[in-house]
Amino acid sequence: MRNIQKIIKDGARKAVARDDVKYVLGWTPGYGFRVSPFFARTAEDTERLIFSPLCANNLTIYLTLQEKLPLPKAAALDKRKIALFVKGCDSRAVIQLIAERGISRDELVILGVPCGGVIDISKLEAKFPQAIKVEAVEEGEKLSLKVDGKSQEIPKEDILLKKCSLCEYPNPLIYDVLLGEEKQKKTKDYQGISTFEEKSPNEKWTYWGDKFARCIRCYACRNICPLCYCDSCILDKLSPQWIRRSVNLSENTVFQLLRTFHLTGRCIGCGECERACPMGIPVGELNRKLEKDVRELFAYEPGIDIEEKSLLSQFKPEDSEDFIL
Amino acid sequence: MSENFEPNIVAFLCNWCSYAGADLAGTARISYPPNVKVIRVMCSGRMNPSFVINALQQGADGVLISGCHPGECHYMEGNYIARRRFTLIKKLMEYIGIEPERFRVSWVSASEGEKFKNVIAEVTEDIRKIGQMKQLKREV
Ligand code: SF4
Ligand code: SF4
Ligand code: FES
Repeated sequence: MRNIQKIIKDGARKAVARDDVKYVLGWTPGYGFRVSPFFARTAEDTERLIFSPLCANNLTIYLTLQEKLPLPKAAALDKRKIALFVKGCDSRAVIQLIAERGISRDELVILGVPCGGVIDISKLEAKFPQAIKVEAVEEGEKLSLKVDGKSQEIPKEDILLKKCSLCEYPNPLIYDVLLGEEKQKKTKDYQGISTFEEKSPNEKWTYWGDKFARCIRCYACRNICPLCYCDSCILDKLSPQWIRRSVNLSENTVFQLLRTFHLTGRCIGCGECERACPMGIPVGELNRKLEKDVRELFAYEPGIDIEEKSLLSQFKPEDSEDFIL
Repeated sequence: MSENFEPNIVAFLCNWCSYAGADLAGTARISYPPNVKVIRVMCSGRMNPSFVINALQQGADGVLISGCHPGECHYMEGNYIARRRFTLIKKLMEYIGIEPERFRVSWVSASEGEKFKNVIAEVTEDIRKIGQMKQLKREV
């Protein structure tokens, strides 16, 4: 197997050399275990790109965050494409965005990288609190780490993000170029969610009330979500103001209910919301709960097919309605 | 529960069926519990889940949405489309620990004055049993 670093650098260099490509969006090492998003505009820049199990960031968000400044007189619109790296889950966000007409397929060059799972860096940071310069290489089921010069091996399974241990789509579902070898799929189950559903309302509220009470309303979970890209968001609107800005249990809870609901049948489970939350609130669990229901009730899965209609704009006369009087 | 707890229920009724059904209950002098406050919407498809949640925040102990029977919506598909939304927001609210009784949906046609009464009676009784809304109620 050729070295994955070389493969992705080559892929990026070829993409950036194309006349119709503005820049390549990829990952570069950051501070400690962190990886930063990186915009490579020249062949030299592409040397800085990496792909490793530390590359958790879903870069799709930068497609809709693109700044579109008003054009000066007589200037032509830059119609060049954006090339971006996607893992399996990220590719589903791209598909969903295209399906929703959030972005058009021909604005993109998609560089797919099969992914063996990314790491929950909070677990590593607990082990190596002082780490500054880190290199991580995936070796089968192990992660070989070089932390400030010292090498060490850790079994990957212990430190993977939860979504990755259950990942059904490790290989990108949409791409122009596939870089690297396809990975083995895992099976997804919703066991944790089914168990929680059995609890009484009181027990459930004790769990969630405590979590929501901690929210500081930084909106990181919304801002990082590749599918939260409305120009005008219900959370910012003052008239009508559906959610007050005060940080308290009632408003925080309503915020999470509406955030989750707006992503029903759209969330593709990249887990970025959860990863971004500074208060460690498992907001993605709410999305997974609805993902489960949507699969069971409507046999629907977002982010698979760019021609798919949205879940809530269609119906079947025989949809279940057992709770309706 | 406190002895004299009276449930406060907000009912969103669609203009063409359920509102007419409630009207019929009135003209036929069928009496139903006075705990409901009716808000007329043009169609159950007009209902955004934030209406439900907002009502619960502002002091409702329960919310009822009522529309035409499937297949009978004045706008053909409004209630079909809305049904998926209702199912999912209900599942979500239950998942965080809001009692299932707090959010109810019914289909009541313009000729079902009697059914309207029964629905209101059932919803009111169920909420009387579980008491006041606490989880979402605004502090001020
Ligand atoms: S809600 Fe969370 S998991 Fe779902 S698409 Fe958005 S960031 Fe990803
Ligand atoms: S990221 Fe966490 S703390 Fe910030 S708004 Fe979302 S849930 Fe609240
Ligand atoms: S008009 Fe009654 S549900 Fe649409």
